[in-house]
Amino acid sequence: MSLVVGVDIGNSTTEACAALITAEGVEFLGSGLVPTTGIKGTTANVDGVEAAVRAALRTSRLALPALQRVFVNEATPVISGLAMETITETLITESTMIGHDPRTPGGAGLGVGVTVAFGELDECSPGEKVIVVVPVGIDFAVVSKALNAALERGVDLRGAVLGNDDAVLVANRISCSIPIVDEVRLVSSVPLGMTAAVEVAAPGRTIRTLSNAYGLATVFELNADQTRAVSPVARALTGIRSAVVVRTPSGEVSDRHIPAGTLELGGETSTVRIDVGEGAEAIMAALARVTPMKDASGEAGTNVGGMLASVKENMADVSGVDLAEVRIGDLLAVDTFVPQEVRGGLAGEVALENAVALAAMVRTSHGPMQQVALAISQRLRREGAAEVEVVIGGVEAEMATRGALTTPGTDRPLVVLDLGGGSTDAALADRSGAISTVHVAGAGDLVTRLIASELGVERDVAEEIKQSPLAKAESFFHLRLEDGTVQFFEEPLPPEVFARVVVLSTDALVPIPVRHSVDRIRQVRRTAKQRVFVVNALRALKQIAPYRDLRQIGFVVLLGGSALDFEIPELIADALAPYGIVCGTGNVRGSEGPRNAVASGLVLSRS
Amino acid sequence: MNVLELREIGRAEKGARPDEVVLALSPGFATFFTKTIVDVPHSEVVRQILAGIEEQGVQARVIQVKARADLAAMAHTAARLSGSGIGIGVLARGTSMIHQKDLPRLSSLELFPQSPLMTPEVFRAIGRNAAQYAKGESPQPVPTLNDQMARPRWQAKAALLHLKECELLVKGAPPVEVEPVLTA
Repeated sequence: MSLVVGVDIGNSTTEACAALITAEGVEFLGSGLVPTTGIKGTTANVDGVEAAVRAALRTSRLALPALQRVFVNEATPVISGLAMETITETLITESTMIGHDPRTPGGAGLGVGVTVAFGELDECSPGEKVIVVVPVGIDFAVVSKALNAALERGVDLRGAVLGNDDAVLVANRISCSIPIVDEVRLVSSVPLGMTAAVEVAAPGRTIRTLSNAYGLATVFELNADQTRAVSPVARALTGIRSAVVVRTPSGEVSDRHIPAGTLELGGETSTVRIDVGEGAEAIMAALARVTPMKDASGEAGTNVGGMLASVKENMADVSGVDLAEVRIGDLLAVDTFVPQEVRGGLAGEVALENAVALAAMVRTSHGPMQQVALAISQRLRREGAAEVEVVIGGVEAEMATRGALTTPGTDRPLVVLDLGGGSTDAALADRSGAISTVHVAGAGDLVTRLIASELGVERDVAEEIKQSPLAKAESFFHLRLEDGTVQFFEEPLPPEVFARVVVLSTDALVPIPVRHSVDRIRQVRRTAKQRVFVVNALRALKQIAPYRDLRQIGFVVLLGGSALDFEIPELIADALAPYGIVCGTGNVRGSEGPRNAVASGLVLSRS
Repeated sequence: MNVLELREIGRAEKGARPDEVVLALSPGFATFFTKTIVDVPHSEVVRQILAGIEEQGVQARVIQVKARADLAAMAHTAARLSGSGIGIGVLARGTSMIHQKDLPRLSSLELFPQSPLMTPEVFRAIGRNAAQYAKGESPQPVPTLNDQMARPRWQAKAALLHLKECELLVKGAPPVEVEPVLTA
């Protein structure tokens, strides 16, 4: 009879399980989970290992001196990196358009006239069609009075553009109803003496004329060629409640494609070049043609070249491998969009620019596990486990499948999908027990990155959004949850969450500092998970399945931190249902959930 | 310079409109005093707050509290009388607060404790945010300034102004609804 502990050093967590090995078999006692210290596979892991071992023994009510053997895993030889690059940009020249979306424009309708500075309103003659441009800093009472005076004189006031947030105030104080757009920060740059159109839609509606190319053609009397030239303006103005378009001699809005460079994917027999600007789908199709990939590189001097170079540098730093030796083993490209301030905009307009996010994965040589094992045994002996012996266990994938098979209701052929932070790893155990593995790039970290860029929030906020469902604090005593139901509270909620979108994390309500609605954040969160985890699950399973046929797989067990997610397992299960696969979150040893599979497998393989 | 006159309409009642914000003024506001501690005219304070509310398309009611010069109590009174549950309290010297009826009295949604830092722009932003809360939106809190020197420089004057305002208290008098009239 001997007391052993299996330890799995992962990228982010170190897991341990304690067990008694007797003549009759294995009796599991307890388990522990702590954050990994240092980069996995280095001697810095020792602190985490010690803490995990102690935690496992504590839950087993045993002390360190009784410990006889520790099994550690051979770490997965995979590290990963991320990069993102925008591939389009919107450019406004000659201040042709104001397309921002102030929350409170004034009036409603469409007005067309010639732009006139506020100070020169007195010089307008009766009957002149005028769009008045009011600088920042003039009080709404003064503006209203001057506009009323001009109207009285018979000036045909058709619309107004304001610097201050005063549109409703002015609209309420003047004697006619005109569309007013406000909060135009750089109002002094609006070209004067030009024909312009101001449109404001009724509440809850979006503008109809200026967002329609033929609407613009009608307003400004354009011919076919000119209409073609202004169509990007119309596109840039869709979906908003108010807008101004000024017709200047050569002003335009262009939707420029940033040359992002070409990506070179080298396979065993062929090399494929693909322009990153073609988007994620084309990149992934090209990748499928060269799989298994040997290396990828980007054209030097372009964005994608810089992207891959930085990923490789990063990985060389982490793994201590020479930069020239780093080979990218897999890529995941995802189409995304990044809200970015429009160049040349007058009011801080934001356009959603297309971007491509790349997750890359590098195979490393096996880390210096012997050194780590030695360091662990020295540490544990010093701490009181005088007779401890540290043994490096078998291949991680084999251990993971062994642990996963302790999930009630599983059988071979079984695939373990380990949904980690940097990569998604799959291991197949076929009927005979033979193991094959595949690692694909992209996992939890990429999801966080997509959420952060698409919503324009910080990484830590994106991490919160990723992990838990949303709600809105509609009053101090109830939350409207994202599924539409209501939760009531006896005690008032804290003031800082009032009227805000919050994340229902396990211990607190975390307010999200953005203007987006619950629905929008939820949609971004779910599509990010779809584009990474569902795509990767299918990609990994196709590579690993016998004859590349998913129907040959009986069971898929989800493991790893992201398998604890509240919606990723169901998204993957939905995607796998058509193939007749039983898919679910693992429950190692019937008690540990998707955790502790490798640690348990290490112990089981030694019994 | 505008002059603000508060015409009393009658005892302040609880409002039924869900789209209103109630603004509570202290006993000395626009009566004994006419400007804040840094000489912002009371007429401008009220005009800016009401403009901030109006710009959001929300209604405003103004009340004058007679029996209290305690900002939290005033703002909470306003919130409880407001149909939306959102109220604003302003002291004669400029200190302000946005309150909600379900909050404990000594809590608040937004507090602006340093009267010397209250400018017309801040008053406008207070009106805007209060109206957005009333609409169920999620405004970014108004950035509160903090001046380390405000305390040593202004505390004595603030204390005197507070004492003076407390002398105007009428024990047990109910809050009164007023109509703010601005004359040039």
